[in-house]
Amino acid sequence: MRELLEPLRGVVVWLMDVTAVPVLAYFVLINTSYLVLILLGALDFRSYLRGRKTVVDTLGGELTPGVSVIVPAHNEEAGIVTSVKALLSLRYPGHEVVVVDDGSTDATFARLREAFDLVELPRDVPQDIPVRARVLGQYVPRDGRTRLIVVRKENSGRSEASNVGVNAATEPLVAMIDADSILEPDALLRVAKPFADDPTRVIATGGTIRPVNGCRVVAGRIVSVGMPRPWMPRIQVVEYLRAFLVGRTGWSRFGGLILISGAFGLYRRDTFVEAGGLDPDSIGEDFELVLRMHKLMREAKADYRVEFVPEPVSWTEVPSTFKVLRNQRRRWHRGLWETLWQYRGMLFRPRYGKVGLVALPYYWLFELVAPLLELYGIVIVPIALVLDAINVPFALLFLALAYGYAIFVTLAAMTLEEWAFHRHSRWRDLGVGLVCSVLENFGFRQLTVWWRLEGWWASLRGKKQVWGVMTRTGFNEEAS
Amino acid sequence: MTGAPVTLLAATLVFAACLALAVVLVLTKVGRETRRRRRAALVAPLRPHLIAVSAGEDEGPARSTLVAAEGPSRRAVTGAIADLLGKVRGLPAEHLVEVLDRHGALESAMADLRHSSPVRRAQAAQLLGVSRVPDAVDSLVVALQDKAGEVRSSAAYALGLIGDPRAAAPLLAAVGAPGAGLPAGLAADALLGMGVGISGALGDALSDPDPRTRTVAAHVCGIGSFTRALPCLRERLALDPDLTVRETCAQALGSIGRADDVEVLARHTEASQPLPLRRVCAEALGQLGEDAAVSTLAALLRGPDPRLAEIAATSLVRLGPCGRAALDAASDERPVQSALTVASLQGVLR
Repeated sequence: MRELLEPLRGVVVWLMDVTAVPVLAYFVLINTSYLVLILLGALDFRSYLRGRKTVVDTLGGELTPGVSVIVPAHNEEAGIVTSVKALLSLRYPGHEVVVVDDGSTDATFARLREAFDLVELPRDVPQDIPVRARVLGQYVPRDGRTRLIVVRKENSGRSEASNVGVNAATEPLVAMIDADSILEPDALLRVAKPFADDPTRVIATGGTIRPVNGCRVVAGRIVSVGMPRPWMPRIQVVEYLRAFLVGRTGWSRFGGLILISGAFGLYRRDTFVEAGGLDPDSIGEDFELVLRMHKLMREAKADYRVEFVPEPVSWTEVPSTFKVLRNQRRRWHRGLWETLWQYRGMLFRPRYGKVGLVALPYYWLFELVAPLLELYGIVIVPIALVLDAINVPFALLFLALAYGYAIFVTLAAMTLEEWAFHRHSRWRDLGVGLVCSVLENFGFRQLTVWWRLEGWWASLRGKKQVWGVMTRTGFNEEAS
Repeated sequence: MTGAPVTLLAATLVFAACLALAVVLVLTKVGRETRRRRRAALVAPLRPHLIAVSAGEDEGPARSTLVAAEGPSRRAVTGAIADLLGKVRGLPAEHLVEVLDRHGALESAMADLRHSSPVRRAQAAQLLGVSRVPDAVDSLVVALQDKAGEVRSSAAYALGLIGDPRAAAPLLAAVGAPGAGLPAGLAADALLGMGVGISGALGDALSDPDPRTRTVAAHVCGIGSFTRALPCLRERLALDPDLTVRETCAQALGSIGRADDVEVLARHTEASQPLPLRRVCAEALGQLGEDAAVSTLAALLRGPDPRLAEIAATSLVRLGPCGRAALDAASDERPVQSALTVASLQGVLR
């Protein structure tokens, strides 16, 4: 047996000689980069806290532009009426809701027609953004006051549905949200504030996404924030906090935000149209759009800003089964790879500023490649330990720098959230969060590493991407 | 490969750092809860008096009790009054300001405008604003150039509440200051609180090199009916390099323009202009309410862009009988049918 393993040991020893230090350095670098983003986020949160202490309520002032909230819906009969009512009742001086029924085969449209007494308009949707699918009709409420437009179209996917919604929109800003997301009452006001503050330069803003699992929802509104019971969504609460809230705030502060989630983003309609809207053939369409907007603006030498606003929250249901989570993570990583590859020409090009010189290289090195190197570490370190190619202290050092440091980073993000927003008021939730910050690194993280690589590999093999169905367990909803 | 001491050191450091952060996390929560309870406990005995004064139901004793508050209670009362002053007007507001004055809070606020803490400076500006202290204008104008954004915002807010038109020019200049500048929306709201004396400053600001300042000025001209700026608005609509500024000027002309402005706006509905601007101008023509706009709008009804055609049709509806006649002549056009259906649902057509 020993003779059989000897050649393998030789290979492993050689591999460790060559890669041990670079791999350790990589983990230190990646965790440190997260920490830097958290520190940048902290600067932003400090401004937010100062603003809150000085109580200047500037929301909804004279320069607040109108917003069209675009809601693509496909087979959403269960919750569409509640969602639309909640969106119509958001606090905002001038907003309309544009629902695009993307060829639903259930009663989505029938529910809307019944709830809002819809009548058909003899209106053609402008082709500001060219779309392939046929629009079947436009409808508005009979009362003439409710600012709702329902567009029916043939099924052609979420991106085209959003583009049709933008074409039908009449306000200068367009908000992209998911039909099953829940916006907080002030969410639109807050996410639109950068546009009112800087009306000539801001072209896009994104809001925070938080998991709704475990929260109590009444009539489409969050009435109490809680931690979900199953561990998988619990871990995602902590993960979203680190990656979405703090990470994106850091990028925004740095001036290199290149990703606004499709679940909650606000765009200048004219810039959105000029960029060509969402790419219906892209699997990472939200990421792709923001990069395309950056490219467009940089090439036009325009003075512009893309901002992340940490306070407005869109609550969305996160996967609670392995199957759905696997599909999501495969799709995310595939979208990341395909978009980064598509825009590889922007890499290290000074004309693209911080986006080309810092943000894109970072995404290549620390977002795209991370699962590959992490898998390598997960596999090689135990093998090397068994074959005596490394000693126990090295294995422990690897654990400390790869996982211990990651726990530290997550705790830093949690501390920052508690300092600035403290959305989870119960002590129990704080305790669960602390446990999750550790648990995430034992099993969950390794699984997501594998799934992300699956998504990447599927793309490299040219396998057709299937969106898959997000099986929803539903919110802890109570009737109003 | 790696020595035990190095590993031990790294592991200990990481573990200690995690533990320390967990402790900080817990302490953050405890600290906030403690402060909240303490503040509530300090204000609670005085709350009925605060409510009595702010509701105008006090004959004097409640005010005396508030004035007599000492130490931490006094600070808590000052904070509570600052919050209330944002919502209370008239005599009750004057009574609340009197309490602040008797506490020496207004004098302290003037001094706090130069405090090292940006939060203190911003709160001081706020307090001077909600208390409408006219003597604070010069200091607040200086605060518009503060390095902290919160202080600049608070100073602008305060200047808007005090309403002294002398502050308009520095306020507009602060919007386009290098870096983040003053939030444009906040500046617009503040300017609208300064009355008619700001028209000169607005006219000058329309020629400012920064597009944010020009946007704010154009917007305030339209909302506040500053007709002296009409020539500048026309010029900016025609020549400004920034599309947002041009759109804002078009909206302003739609609100406050004269009959001559039909021609100005009509020129910007031509196909050579950017589509978003054409749409804004078509809407502005309807808002202007001049019959002379009918021919321009009628010509847009049969254009290739259904949105522009529907906006033109809606504007024609707004123009009354003249506009309706033009719509009747194009009743086979779907944008016209759509605009008429919407107008009918809204009760505009009978």
